[in-house]
Amino acid sequence: MRLLNRVRSWWRGIFQRSLVQNEMEAELQFHVEARTEELVQSGVPRAEALRRARLEFGGMEGAKEECLEARGASCLDNLMQDLRYGARTMMRAPGFTTMAVLALALGIGANTAIFSVVNAVLLRPLPYDQPDKLVQLWHVPPQAAFPGIAEFPVSPANFLDWRSQTQSFEGMSAYGRGSYTLTGNGEPETFRMIAVTDGMFSILHARPLLGRGFVSGEDEPGHEQEVVLSYGVWRRRFAGNPDIVGKNITLNARAFTVIGVMGPDFEFPISTDPSLQAQMWKPLAWSDQDRAVRDNHNYAVVARLKPGVAVKQAQNELDGISNRLAQEYPSENRGWGAIAVPLRDDLVGDVRPALLILLGAVVLVLLIACANVANLVLVKALTRRKEQAVRVALGATRRRLLQQALAETLLLAFAGGALGLVFAHYGVILIVKFLAQRLPRSSEISLDGWVLAFTAGISLLAGFAAGLAPAFRAAKTDVNEALKQGLGRATSDSGGSRTRDLLVVSEVALSLMLLIGAGLLIRSLWMLHQVNPGFEAAQVVTMEVAVPIGKFTEPAQQIGYFNRVLDRIRTLPGVQAAGLIDSLPLTDNGSMQPIAVEGRPPVAMADMPEVDVRLISPGYLGAMHLPLLEGRGVDDSDVAGRPGAVLISESMAKLFWPNEGAIGKRLTLYFFPDQPRVVVGIVGDVKLYAVNETQRKATLYFPMAQFTAPRGEAFQSFGMNLAVRTGAAPVNMASTVGLAIHEVDPGIPVQNVHTMDEMISESLSPQRFTMLLLGAFAGLALLLAVVGIYSVTSYSVSRRTNEMGIRVALGASRTDVLMLVIRHGMMLALIGSVIGIAGALLLSRVMRSQLFGVQPTDPATFVAGACGLMIVVLAASYIPARRAMRVDPMVALRYE
Amino acid sequence: MSKQLDLLQGTLDMLILKATSLGPLHGYGILLRIGQISKDRLEIQQGSLYPALYRLEHQGWITSGWGESENKRRAKYYRLTAAGKRRLQAETEKWNRMTDVIAGILETRPEEV
Repeated sequence: MRLLNRVRSWWRGIFQRSLVQNEMEAELQFHVEARTEELVQSGVPRAEALRRARLEFGGMEGAKEECLEARGASCLDNLMQDLRYGARTMMRAPGFTTMAVLALALGIGANTAIFSVVNAVLLRPLPYDQPDKLVQLWHVPPQAAFPGIAEFPVSPANFLDWRSQTQSFEGMSAYGRGSYTLTGNGEPETFRMIAVTDGMFSILHARPLLGRGFVSGEDEPGHEQEVVLSYGVWRRRFAGNPDIVGKNITLNARAFTVIGVMGPDFEFPISTDPSLQAQMWKPLAWSDQDRAVRDNHNYAVVARLKPGVAVKQAQNELDGISNRLAQEYPSENRGWGAIAVPLRDDLVGDVRPALLILLGAVVLVLLIACANVANLVLVKALTRRKEQAVRVALGATRRRLLQQALAETLLLAFAGGALGLVFAHYGVILIVKFLAQRLPRSSEISLDGWVLAFTAGISLLAGFAAGLAPAFRAAKTDVNEALKQGLGRATSDSGGSRTRDLLVVSEVALSLMLLIGAGLLIRSLWMLHQVNPGFEAAQVVTMEVAVPIGKFTEPAQQIGYFNRVLDRIRTLPGVQAAGLIDSLPLTDNGSMQPIAVEGRPPVAMADMPEVDVRLISPGYLGAMHLPLLEGRGVDDSDVAGRPGAVLISESMAKLFWPNEGAIGKRLTLYFFPDQPRVVVGIVGDVKLYAVNETQRKATLYFPMAQFTAPRGEAFQSFGMNLAVRTGAAPVNMASTVGLAIHEVDPGIPVQNVHTMDEMISESLSPQRFTMLLLGAFAGLALLLAVVGIYSVTSYSVSRRTNEMGIRVALGASRTDVLMLVIRHGMMLALIGSVIGIAGALLLSRVMRSQLFGVQPTDPATFVAGACGLMIVVLAASYIPARRAMRVDPMVALRYE
Repeated sequence: MSKQLDLLQGTLDMLILKATSLGPLHGYGILLRIGQISKDRLEIQQGSLYPALYRLEHQGWITSGWGESENKRRAKYYRLTAAGKRRLQAETEKWNRMTDVIAGILETRPEEV
């Protein structure tokens, strides 16, 4: 009850202040009037009565003040007073205030920017109902044949068995990607299509905006001509027509019925690159033949866990089923496992370590900023010691002094936070611009409520962190000492200087950690740039010739088309060489296939070695300057009907024929068993998927002209990537080449135009960006540390002017004085460096996954970082030291 | 004019609680009531009365409300709460013990020490 009473009274004190004051006014008024009335009745004249009543009452204003204080509003009043006082002090010292606010704003801004990325990418739930229950299912391939590959697509038959045999899931759906060209409605345009087995939309708990999703049984053959549109496509290509449902549209020259339109927020699968979002969904209609395929792994699988089932339980169940399937179908499934990965981990698992490292880095930057501000406040507080002492002498409590000091740094921190938000706003724009194509959900990055709350929170923390040391020093004010000391100059202040030294040491240590971290990343990036990708990227432009599925019905038609394209391009001036490949190097795409080597004991499919298989045209080696090491390349004689020819990579030759020549050896591709193929040439190794791949990929190239539909399946036309080596700047050639392709067949879109240099650069962009950010943070940290050391050294020099004067007067040389000052700065830097190196050893261990070609303990980086820091610290203490050196003993001694 | 005693520190609260225990009163009324009971032997700073009232109200020992005074004016009346009643009792006992002890000490003759 009493608590309630107090809260009510505080409440009124804060929010109904004027009401309380009015009431008080009336009450005191009543008192005076009542007294006057009494005096009048006892015969005193009214005017005199009023005067006496007032006199008896005493100081009216003082009483009011006391009344308000008695209400308990005082602690808030004090706070307001402290804040006002703090604001006034800040105004009076604009230089100090600017420094402190800027330091905090940089620290808080960096934190806010990185947090807003972490928030959108790692923390915010995925945009589905109960997203924690969604998992991605993958095969775990046998490690002997697929070294280093942890997750692999799923085959239809295995998917169907998983779906029918598991109890852990509410639903499970497989999907594959394709591209479909819309015609008959304005310009032809190719869309990214996701083919899904039934139940996909219900697994995601996603409701279409219009129409419906696919219902059970619609993934049977015969229903496949149905399509669900994304909101964007519906608005853009169909003018948001609400009657679109039930209408037919033409995709890849076949009629599809639109059965639904998804809402604007729906996205599946979530793409790392927002410009590659899925635009349409159609049923994945497997024929009975397709459903029986167990050995060809081409599909991704998403599933929803039943309520109360943990991922681990589902994993156990999948393990059991995988074991059973391996026993049941040993020739296809031996060694093949399954793994359930929470959907979010599947999406962001790759970027999480880098983001967490950056988050750690900005926390360090903020700590340095706090130490810096603490130092500035401490130094400033020393000049106010006398004021503090007077306040203590006049009865200010320790708590009150502490509160006052904290109020000031909190004010600084919140000013810094506000400015930091501005910095963060621009920082986020930059981050999104640079990283949009590599960061899942980057379109969701924004300074939302959570981020603002975070900023407010860290501003508060930063205010406390920066204010605690100064506050406790202020509260420790010794009245006698301080008052005796006049202006407090030239006297020992050992406690305070120890605190400042400690802060400088920690600034040095923290910034060295960041410097070394950034140094390791810079070295890694440099090493990555030194990597030979196996081809010559300069002067090569590439583009996708996106032949729609169903465009050609016979392989010969497709081969004829591509030959015409190549012939046409080779006649263009400036073109030195041109060739085609199904998947360009340094892209995520690519096919791995089992092979059987002739003359070796036949084994089941599951035990066959796997190699990367690429389809190429004549001219590809020349266009990419892929070195031919032995034998011959693919030429115009390698066509259907002629003996099958293949090129293999150097690493494949060494892997399969370590002690003999590989040329002339024969092998059979498991999926193209029509004829054995002869190794006719050996080419250099190429980085197939990423510049930083460490495994040399055994690769087999076979001629496009000898491609037939795998294992007698129906032929489906497909796109190829064109690589053109030009004499001129490759960018300028791109449009000429594109037009030439268009001339051959206007119905075939050309897309994804890039120079090979761009592709290398793009493939390194995440590393580069992490490096740039960490480098920027390290630079910021260094700057803050330098400012800290500079201000502390300058301050101590100015305090010791007197001492320096005496030293010089007693015969110390200028150099002695210089060294005296510098030695102190270097001592701090040395201690800081030792601690910083220890910290960097811990940090770099966490960073191991981000490094390439450099050890986390790389001595060169550590030494360079420490030396660089020492030099900077030397410079920062040299300037004030020179000032000390120039001290004129006469002036200095007169100073007091 | 009889000599008035200065109020001992901390005793004003007690007097207010006692005054209001006899019925709701406004500020001036409390002053009058104390004067009446003490037969004007105590000097109370009028200015210090109101801070004390506000403090006691904040602590929940008295509550206040607006009412009509004897001469038909709006006035703020204070009333003792249950907690205030207990407080008054405790304070009274403490005061009595204290005065006994102090009086005992003061009445001690030199030869008794």
